[in-house]
Amino acid sequence: MTTILRVTIISLLTLTTNTIFTSCTDVIEVDVPEAETRLVVEASIDWEKGTPGNNQSIKLSTTTPYFDQETNTNVVGASVVLTNNNDSSETVFTGQNNGNYTTTTFIPVLSNSYTLKIIYNGETYSAQETLIPVTDIIDVYQTTEKGLKDVLEFNIDFQDPIDEVNYYYFKIQEHADLLPTLLELKDEFTDGNLLSVYNERTEDEDINQVEYMPGDMVNVQLYGISEQYSTFIRLLIEQYNIDANPFGLTPVPIKGNCINPSNPEKYALGYFRLTQVVKTNYTFQ
Amino acid sequence: MNKLLVLFMLVTTALSAQDNYTLSGTIKEASNGETAFGASVFLKGTTIGVMSNEYGFYSITAPKDTYTLVVSYIGFNDKTLEITLNKNQKVDFEITEASTQLDEIVITTSESEQTSIRDPQMSVTKVKMSTIKKMPVVFGEVDIIKSIQTLPGVTNNGESSGGFNVRGGTVDQNLVLLDEAIIYNTSHLLGFFSVFNADAIKDVKLYKGGIPARFGGRVSSVLDVRQKDGNNKEYKFTGGVGLISSRLAIEGPIVKDKGSFLIAGRGSYAHLFLKLQKEEERTDNSASFYDLNLKTNYSIDQNNKIYISGYLGRDNINFDGGFASSYGNLSGNLRWNHIFNDRLFSNASLIYSKYDYELEFRDFEFDWIASIRNYNAKYDLKYYASDVLKLDFGLNTIYYGFEPGEINPTTDYSSINPLELDQKRAFESGLYLNAEHKITQNLTAQYGLRYSNFSRLGGQTLNNYENNQPVVYNERLGLYEEGTIIGETEYTKNETIATFNNLEPRLSISYQLNESSSVKTGYSRTAQYIHLLSNTSSVSPLDVWTPSGKFIKPQLADQYALGYFKNIKNNSYSLETEVYYKTVDNRIDYVDGSELVGQNAIETEILSGESRGYGLEILLRKTRGDFTGWLSYTLSKSEQRTPGGTAGGPGINSGNWYNSSQDRTHDISFTGSYSLNEKWTLGTNFVFQTGRPATYPDAQYEYEGVSVATFSDRNSQRLASYHRLDISTTYAPNKHPESDWKGEWVFGIYNVYNRKNAASVSFGQNKETGMNEATRTSIFGMVPSFSYNFKF
Repeated sequence: MTTILRVTIISLLTLTTNTIFTSCTDVIEVDVPEAETRLVVEASIDWEKGTPGNNQSIKLSTTTPYFDQETNTNVVGASVVLTNNNDSSETVFTGQNNGNYTTTTFIPVLSNSYTLKIIYNGETYSAQETLIPVTDIIDVYQTTEKGLKDVLEFNIDFQDPIDEVNYYYFKIQEHADLLPTLLELKDEFTDGNLLSVYNERTEDEDINQVEYMPGDMVNVQLYGISEQYSTFIRLLIEQYNIDANPFGLTPVPIKGNCINPSNPEKYALGYFRLTQVVKTNYTFQ
Repeated sequence: MNKLLVLFMLVTTALSAQDNYTLSGTIKEASNGETAFGASVFLKGTTIGVMSNEYGFYSITAPKDTYTLVVSYIGFNDKTLEITLNKNQKVDFEITEASTQLDEIVITTSESEQTSIRDPQMSVTKVKMSTIKKMPVVFGEVDIIKSIQTLPGVTNNGESSGGFNVRGGTVDQNLVLLDEAIIYNTSHLLGFFSVFNADAIKDVKLYKGGIPARFGGRVSSVLDVRQKDGNNKEYKFTGGVGLISSRLAIEGPIVKDKGSFLIAGRGSYAHLFLKLQKEEERTDNSASFYDLNLKTNYSIDQNNKIYISGYLGRDNINFDGGFASSYGNLSGNLRWNHIFNDRLFSNASLIYSKYDYELEFRDFEFDWIASIRNYNAKYDLKYYASDVLKLDFGLNTIYYGFEPGEINPTTDYSSINPLELDQKRAFESGLYLNAEHKITQNLTAQYGLRYSNFSRLGGQTLNNYENNQPVVYNERLGLYEEGTIIGETEYTKNETIATFNNLEPRLSISYQLNESSSVKTGYSRTAQYIHLLSNTSSVSPLDVWTPSGKFIKPQLADQYALGYFKNIKNNSYSLETEVYYKTVDNRIDYVDGSELVGQNAIETEILSGESRGYGLEILLRKTRGDFTGWLSYTLSKSEQRTPGGTAGGPGINSGNWYNSSQDRTHDISFTGSYSLNEKWTLGTNFVFQTGRPATYPDAQYEYEGVSVATFSDRNSQRLASYHRLDISTTYAPNKHPESDWKGEWVFGIYNVYNRKNAASVSFGQNKETGMNEATRTSIFGMVPSFSYNFKF
């Protein structure tokens, strides 16, 4: 809810700035600094409810200069091992020579703690996380009353468990879209309630975006996440969605949980997360 | 004991042996009875003289003799009087304007805008409303806050940000007073317009340093804005019609020569400029503001006068998209001037002020309300001890109530639970004594001491943290995190959570080199007990004020300044140069990823640091003739440093000094006004500033299917330089000089060469192409404007 407050306040200021006055935005060329290349760990161990969860994949890549269009940053030849902290059993991920490291033998245990260890280029990286459960999606349906009037939006209803702090992460992907929509939520002001999240799209000529139309198909994923990951993903989403406006947050470095114990300055970016996830599709009528 | 008594008697005898007599009274404008602040009263051929105070009162003491007394003031004719000083006497003066035109467009500027060579007060600028009204402004809206930014050492964060920055300080470090009431937000519509209606304002004084001991509570500056008293001779109407707003002021006598009133209102046109409104259905977007100024005064007798003044300003912003906001200042005050005798003047004030905002989130079915309010009682006295010594002394106490936020569901089926952040309460008190002392013919000093006290009151619960660390550095992850709560302490309403005491010495010395030049130097210490928290690039009206207490210490500033002042060519020009160095302790900085909105335990999001600033300021003014104006240049640096402190770890930006957002290496402004003839006046502004410090990305990577940026150290880059040129022309036809109706047309062009000055540059991934790009937001391109002003 703080996020809603925060985002709404920013939108309010942006809208006022942009709508009421003659302000304009344009894309400009800017010289940006170049940091040293870092390892990026996208270790998302997501266990879809109702599946065994044994198939898992971890992606390793590196950073590139901000405006660089080089896309092949795959890291090959790393050693990737996952340890169950409860019984010390190990799962070894096998490199596929495309930056992906996979396994078919992972055993997910809710609320269990795991350690990830990566050895690459003589550096050892490690991270610890806990597998967080998630509540079910009760309903997905469309309306037009919320947000802009007469504009289609879809709603996701789910029941927040009472008397515990829950953190949620949504990944929403319309099938024809290039990029997903990411959303983070905390039950700080809504503990134990039936929660409803909606997503609407406004017309934006600059990026050829139109409102949701009947026939559009949307994939919705709801993740249960840890407090630490919620801090990470909230900041990432806020900075990713930063609007062109003077009231935006001052951007800051986003550190994940992949550390380099013997050489702390050479930490890896990205995150080692363990989640339970529910997925569903919705087609606008 | 006896020796002391003898000494005391000697002093008393020595003083009275001289046969001194005192002349006192009030100086007013003849046409409307407005009291004149800063008029100079002096005895010709001597160095004995005084400036009238805020209420027009003066008192002058001299040995028995016959003198020629001269009163001079801003754009008014000098008034002289032969006087035989052989007893204490009271003389009131009425002075007449030097020009027959509208007083707003008097061309000859003023003694008091010239540099006062002898006065030890430095780092101060007084600007007459008449000067401000001639400056070209965006949309033709006269704007005090924008005008003072043309002075050296004063900047802001761009066109869309509220407030102003003085000598590299932050917006919350300015004490803004409207008739002594604290104004918490100086702008309408997020910073586009100032809250001060020019028709209701008499004058504006900005202290950038050397803040007199009677002011306290902010470490950077004092902006002292005074409303007009109202015409006590006849009814007058002043008004104007502009592109953004219309305004009307009515003033007149309640009882002729005894009491008067002023009511001024201003309102913007709602539903203006709604770019998004192209779709038929989206018609509910609107933004508007209004304000109302009120003042009335009544002289009970020669020695007692009562003033009541008030201000109400409000902004309303409404979006069809599902939310609405409303915010504004409210203030009111009651003052009583009492003259004890011809040497002792006093003023007692009771003041209330409040700032609040509301946000309504229709889609999420809740609203959010927050406010800060204060009650302030003050008593100030001025004792004109002798021709070489004047004393100011007094005390004040402020009660603050902070309501940082309250969330309420707005429907029965809302999924939001109600929540109220802890209310906070505090008392801030001050006691001061200040002397203005002419030590020798050429050496004048102003020295004083302020004692301030701040008590954060109970009536709330505070968290206790493990190892007393609200913020902890997580060594393993290299991040600052919230501390571990190990319990809480409940403070009852009778308990005090924390108390702070500070002694704040203030000193300034002026040494007159010759008739037209002097050097001045000063030192001041100031304390600030309440802070505005913001982790966005610009201050927004929704930022949260928070008091010092268990976790937040008061800011303490030390400032040193040295200056050279010269009047040139028979006072047609003046040159003011100053260098300053200042430091501020306990400057709050927020940790990476902080959440300040809706945060009850603000202490878990911040670290305490320090800031420093230094600079050179040059102001060259031309104050007489057809052409008047000024050129100002500032070379400065403003930095801050935030080590980990009790939280451990390296701090912000590895604990190194870094540029604060207010840092501007170069700042040049030129403001000029040229009177072609009686009907036509031309005005221009030119501004150039080094770009604002900003944070840029230094790498990218793929994560969750999107391109994520990583960022370099805070404020390690800069936006492009800011510059623009504005022009305006004023046409006052005055076809019927006998008629009471005086009208004028003002035409202006803001940003003549349509420079796209960046208010911000943001970085993101284009949703269509997937490419990273930098997007610049610029607020005002070229904006033409016109307005019509009238008076009758």
